[in-house]
Amino acid sequence: MKRKKNFKKKRKNTKHSKLSLFQKSDIKLSRSCPLSGKNAPVIDYKNIKLLKKYISESGRILPSRVSSVSFKKQRELANSIKRARLLALI
Amino acid sequence: MNNYEHTLIMKQDLQENKVKTFINKYIDIINNNSGKVIKTENWGLKNFSHKIKNNKKGFYFHIKFEGIGKTIEELEKAENIDQMLIRYLTVRVKEHDLKNEYFEKKEI
Repeated sequence: MKRKKNFKKKRKNTKHSKLSLFQKSDIKLSRSCPLSGKNAPVIDYKNIKLLKKYISESGRILPSRVSSVSFKKQRELANSIKRARLLALI
Repeated sequence: MNNYEHTLIMKQDLQENKVKTFINKYIDIINNNSGKVIKTENWGLKNFSHKIKNNKKGFYFHIKFEGIGKTIEELEKAENIDQMLIRYLTVRVKEHDLKNEYFEKKEI
């Protein structure tokens, strides 16, 4: 019986349970883009340390829904990864 | 005038002390065709991530220069014939960043 009570309390405390359609959630659901904003690293085909974060183990470009990079920066990133591939740096 | 970055990959057979004389040939082509070399970087001998035409290693050289379309036309015409070159890449940039150097510089 004790277990059941605890379970009910937990459910009430979560912020998702009471949300209506037009209410904004307090929790940030999406992360901001790591490559835009102030002090963001420069995307460049010579900057291999940065590019290696955004490719999979087999060398494919990670989709932006995984890495949460903005569309504009994802285009830049894909371009510079392809340039680095041409020079056999990645 | 446009800003360009140019990277060359030379074959491993080329000896390290001959890289400079080899590169001077292309620097002259840039300077003679209304271009101007701003900065050169020697990245040295590096391993490829994958084989290119049965080569595993190559000498990398990086040139930053100003020029017009004709400069690149003449430069790439000469490079296409050259058998000691494996690959080259030309990239147009808005501004040269002369601060960052991503590879260790090796003097010839």
